[in-house]
Amino acid sequence: MRQKDNFSYQDPKSARITFDEWDDLFDQIPDNIIEKFCYFPPNDATWAKYLFPPQTFAIYGARHLRRLKFDNSLAALRLWGFVNNEVERLFRAQQIGKKVIAVMGDLGPLAIIISAFPECVPFYPDCWWWTPFAMESRVLLKTAEDLGIPEATCYSRAALGAFVKHSYFPDPDLIIAATGASCDDYSGVQSLVAQLTGNVIWVETPLRQSDDISETIELLVSEYHRVIKSLEELTGIRLTEDLLKQAIQRANLVRKITARLRDLAFTHAVFPAVEMMLIEFGCLHFYSDITEWINILHHLLNTAEHRTRTNQAVLPLSSLHLAWLTPPADPLLLCTAEDYGARIVATEYVINQALAPIENSLPPLVAIARSHLFGSLNGTSAERAELLIRQSTKNSAEGLIISGLLGGSHCAMESKLIGDIVRDRLGLPVLEFDVAPPNREIDRQTLTRIEAFMELLRSRRCAKS
Amino acid sequence: MREILNPRERFGLLVIDETQDRVPLFPLLTSYAAIFVGVPLRDYYTDGVIMAKCQLQSREHFQTDFISIFSEVGIVAEGLGSEYHYPENDLPILSKPKWQDVLTAAGAITQKGEIALGGRLGVYLTAINYAYEAIADRVPILAYIPAPFTTAQQLVEPESLLLALIENPDAVHKLLSYATTAVINFSRAVIRAGALPILVDPLASGSVLSPNQYRQFALPYEKMVIDFYHRYDLDVVLHICGDTTNIIGLIPASGADLISVDKIDIKLALAAVGNKVRLIGNYDTSNLWLTPPTVIETQVIEMVSLGKTCPRGYVAATGCEVPLATPEENLATFVRATKISGQYDFPTKYKRAVV
Repeated sequence: MRQKDNFSYQDPKSARITFDEWDDLFDQIPDNIIEKFCYFPPNDATWAKYLFPPQTFAIYGARHLRRLKFDNSLAALRLWGFVNNEVERLFRAQQIGKKVIAVMGDLGPLAIIISAFPECVPFYPDCWWWTPFAMESRVLLKTAEDLGIPEATCYSRAALGAFVKHSYFPDPDLIIAATGASCDDYSGVQSLVAQLTGNVIWVETPLRQSDDISETIELLVSEYHRVIKSLEELTGIRLTEDLLKQAIQRANLVRKITARLRDLAFTHAVFPAVEMMLIEFGCLHFYSDITEWINILHHLLNTAEHRTRTNQAVLPLSSLHLAWLTPPADPLLLCTAEDYGARIVATEYVINQALAPIENSLPPLVAIARSHLFGSLNGTSAERAELLIRQSTKNSAEGLIISGLLGGSHCAMESKLIGDIVRDRLGLPVLEFDVAPPNREIDRQTLTRIEAFMELLRSRRCAKS
Repeated sequence: MREILNPRERFGLLVIDETQDRVPLFPLLTSYAAIFVGVPLRDYYTDGVIMAKCQLQSREHFQTDFISIFSEVGIVAEGLGSEYHYPENDLPILSKPKWQDVLTAAGAITQKGEIALGGRLGVYLTAINYAYEAIADRVPILAYIPAPFTTAQQLVEPESLLLALIENPDAVHKLLSYATTAVINFSRAVIRAGALPILVDPLASGSVLSPNQYRQFALPYEKMVIDFYHRYDLDVVLHICGDTTNIIGLIPASGADLISVDKIDIKLALAAVGNKVRLIGNYDTSNLWLTPPTVIETQVIEMVSLGKTCPRGYVAATGCEVPLATPEENLATFVRATKISGQYDFPTKYKRAVV
């Protein structure tokens, strides 16, 4: 597998490296490799390159990169470059005639339907909740607050700020918003986006019922048909079953590689936690370019398998095993946990609906609807806890960290409920905290609590042995 | 007037060929910041924190779109060994170049231009870091880097370099290669610190060099540095002071993405390079200093109206650094006139505001 990459560049021994160390390493990367990777392939336009070091994106405002630690592989650099380049990529998409479709709230299924349309690029503005943290900035949050979304609300309110600013993604050609069994805070954001743009298609997303799901599936399929009709009107293309099946195949490939990478990371520590979080979230809308995203996933998988074969863990396998619930809005938290001697072996980042394979044997829209029902947010807290318990048991987690959001509606009680279930079932210590607003460092209180938690886990391990 | 975009967002759109709310605003507000804040110039260019604070305070007051980390063009040469005198209320003055003449330099250069990042290079880096931490989420930090030709002229007696262009071109190239390595090394530190380098080559001006000399001695070395910046995908500004009428057509070959011009008819610059690069310029700095605000307003509106037609994009700027003695009201007028006349139709799709 490794030979297939043929990049005329040899990765150094696996390690987590600093911002400055990546710059030293970037110096060793030949120009022809930088030229090689372009988004929207096949495409060799100068603007389509993306293999650039963290320094590039820091200069354009991503200040938090200066404090993070990174995996030192070429594949990881490619991942970071691609993720950081997404804003530009969305603008370029519209410039070259693609339709840019904002899809909000359902985090996974609708993006597959949109991606079935040739030349349509789906993206979730929800993911712009990381922007204030990446930039260490309150600009987007403040903009949302000025429009009536208060401070004690999920950081996903940054998406509203991004719509108002017209400069974090292009004004979408169409906006699709899922409501119902979704985040309450984000429903508020979506309502204000609808007022702002006057151009939103609402999609009802029902709760998962434990008994008969046929009515739920039927409702979802009828909602998807409405979406398809709008997309057909926008693009002038009729969506065939073949196109839908191909889109499902592509999404399943993404999910399959992601599952394999998660397995290797959890068992063999082949990539650090921040890179793995980026990989997991690639399942939502493929960072606006599914073709190149699949290429990158293959590259990551080759690297991971090579590291597994050659025993090149990026963190000591003996590190404390942590499960993590809810994606931390501040990625520095993951780095910090690793700095304190832990590694992540189980995650429940509220996007299970984008990770589970889609059934091939069913009619495409029914299969997509069923995948929606795997969703982390549209069932009970006990079901969400179960997802975590399965992974924690398999990978021998020794503790659980829950990173919540002040005022985030799905965190208010759910964190405690899930924490209690995990504690009762597995006997694991649980640390729960709210992620502080964007800042250059982790607040002292949280830092102390993480440090103390690690000490506790270490002492439990000693006691057991 | 409340604006939709902040400077970071505005510049971000410019460099990906998207319309902005208005043209970005870039008076080359460098050492003037010290005068504005009331700090002795020597403190400004010898203390990075003071330099950054002056920049932040003057940007906040005038509401410009960039931070300009710069004092003068000797900084890399000083890092290589040229000596400067620091008057309390003036910019550094070259007191002893590293070498007497180009031939001596060529004979002495045995290694690449390794550069110690101490002294005033450290002052720059401190200033960049301070400004970056303070404001880089909203405002781009620009660090002016003297280009190889300009740096070379600070490494020897300046007249010696000009004579050697004719008499000893090989020796000049050796000196320029040395300077290029030093400029790139320093640029690397600047990039790590978080600033976007803006390459300045005032001594490669058409007022100093013929087009042929520019093509032979300045352009190739500008290009080497810009190629290095492009490895990082940076949008590179090249600023050349003075009259560039005779070399304007050559400058895009440097690879610069944005060209900052001084004494040239903006219509001519637009016709020559407007389809290839983004244009920055070029309000006459003597006028900024000495002309009444009412005249400045009229002239700036005329300049911006023309500049806005640049197909690749435009930044309204002064042709060179804001003169130290410029009245505050004059600079404020430049800013105000640009903001009024620089508006674009933005946003282009949906405009309804949330009530």
